[in-house]
Amino acid sequence: MFKREMKINFKSFLIWTLSLVIVFFVVFLIYPSIINSENIEMMDEMMQMFPKELLKAFNMDLSSIDSAFGWLKTEGFVMILLVIGSYAGIMGSTILLKEENDKTIEYLNSLPIKRQNIVMSKVLCGTLYLLLMTLVIGIFNFIGLSLVEKFNIKQFLLLSITPLLPGLVIFFLTLFISTFTNKTKKMFGISLGIVFLSYVIQTVSMISEKTEFLKFFSVFTLADIRYVIQNISINPIMVIISISLSIILCILTIVHYNKKELV
Amino acid sequence: MEILKIENLTKYYGKVLAVKDLSLSLNEGEIFGFIGPNGAGKSTTIKSIMNLINKTSGNVYLNGELFTKEKIELKKIIGYLPSEISLYDDLTVKEILDYHESFYNKKINRRRKELVKRLQLAETKKIEDLSLGNLKKLGIILALMHEPKILILDEPTSGLDPIMQNIFYEILLEEKEKGTTIFYSTHVLSEISKICDRVGIIKDGKLLKIETIKELSKKNLTNVTIEIENNIDELIKDLAITPLLIDKNMIKFKNILDSNTLIKKISKYNIKNILIEEATLEDVFMHYYE
Repeated sequence: MFKREMKINFKSFLIWTLSLVIVFFVVFLIYPSIINSENIEMMDEMMQMFPKELLKAFNMDLSSIDSAFGWLKTEGFVMILLVIGSYAGIMGSTILLKEENDKTIEYLNSLPIKRQNIVMSKVLCGTLYLLLMTLVIGIFNFIGLSLVEKFNIKQFLLLSITPLLPGLVIFFLTLFISTFTNKTKKMFGISLGIVFLSYVIQTVSMISEKTEFLKFFSVFTLADIRYVIQNISINPIMVIISISLSIILCILTIVHYNKKELV
Repeated sequence: MEILKIENLTKYYGKVLAVKDLSLSLNEGEIFGFIGPNGAGKSTTIKSIMNLINKTSGNVYLNGELFTKEKIELKKIIGYLPSEISLYDDLTVKEILDYHESFYNKKINRRRKELVKRLQLAETKKIEDLSLGNLKKLGIILALMHEPKILILDEPTSGLDPIMQNIFYEILLEEKEKGTTIFYSTHVLSEISKICDRVGIIKDGKLLKIETIKELSKKNLTNVTIEIENNIDELIKDLAITPLLIDKNMIKFKNILDSNTLIKKISKYNIKNILIEEATLEDVFMHYYE
């Protein structure tokens, strides 16, 4: 069953991964040519015009975009966060629900397999694809960056791993929510809503101290890119929270799916 | 030996009653017909047996054991065919059969090949390209190929052409010979009389009656239409019937006589046309209500 899951989800994995790879390929291709001393000066002047709070929201107060790695640390990783988050959300909301939506659940349920094993096959497949996506994008960016400039490898590696934390939580959260409905269309909207609302909340939370409390309501806080850039390490609390949340949501999914009416 | 036992099954969808306090049991090697009109609660009963939906109350026992979602070993002895079969469209027939085979430890390849040949299904075809009839055939193969002890079939012949229907009945009778128990849900009365040993009649979620086919056929539930040259009133008197319809020299009535008596009584009239029809499901239900 796991093999079949891997096979049917491969296409969407490939599309999502390739879309990011193509964007980064273009960046690595054109960045060295557009970045020269004149442009850097212009960009610095432009950056000074932005309010500090706004620069902070995009990590531009910690890193400038005068290099490909600089761009990655600011806009690039935000893009990775959003793409991995959206992919995780869509996969989490459909991977289990698809069987009910396509009415294949009646056949699947007739096979000698426990419901929790159905969930675990899907969980394993989803987790593996999230890991693979992070890995493929990380390897591609590493090669791309190595060809165009020198950069802090440790910082890069840690930054590459961080999107996995909110990705996993989004996957398990949407998987759990999907056990409350029978319609994939509905879940599709909910999952993308969670991703983009989380991102907006996290961005707003970084603008001022008054809005800082909002970070507790965003799953992207778990990625804590600022912490990685500043400390060149991943905040262990975020790792613990992400793993714990994923495990709890996975258990809740199994428990609720066991009680669910499947038609 | 009792192989399937349903005990006081009740199912509500919210406040809507689907099945009320249904109890029945199936003996090993029998074909049990489960008949009722659309919405009577047949599929709900089957889905409750299969643990697809949660029972409001009641239990299902299989092979003497309480059958719950967790009982994988019991699932291995069931072959299930839903009324509307949906399979993975991206796979070919061969791939889904291989997939199915992978869930069972025993060697079932021989039986699979036998069934594929008998039901004339091309293994190379993609599931999305299968016609409704071929999809049904595939469903039948999937339900039977692992040689289950009990078969649960929900409207199994819908979509099958008459030739395939006959092949299917033959297969079922062979299964019965081997000792397989078959729970056969349908709304076609003639199917029940062809292959079943006993029949359970369900309407509005309630099991009205369980009868053997012998008992059911004794009741001679037929509708007869006769057109004669003249003397229609005399015929009505002779048969002692209340006609459902009288049109000049033609009458239609619910037959309560056995076939021999009916033929003897009408033979003295000059019959222009005679039509003996199988009673409708509604007639059967009315009979039990009466």
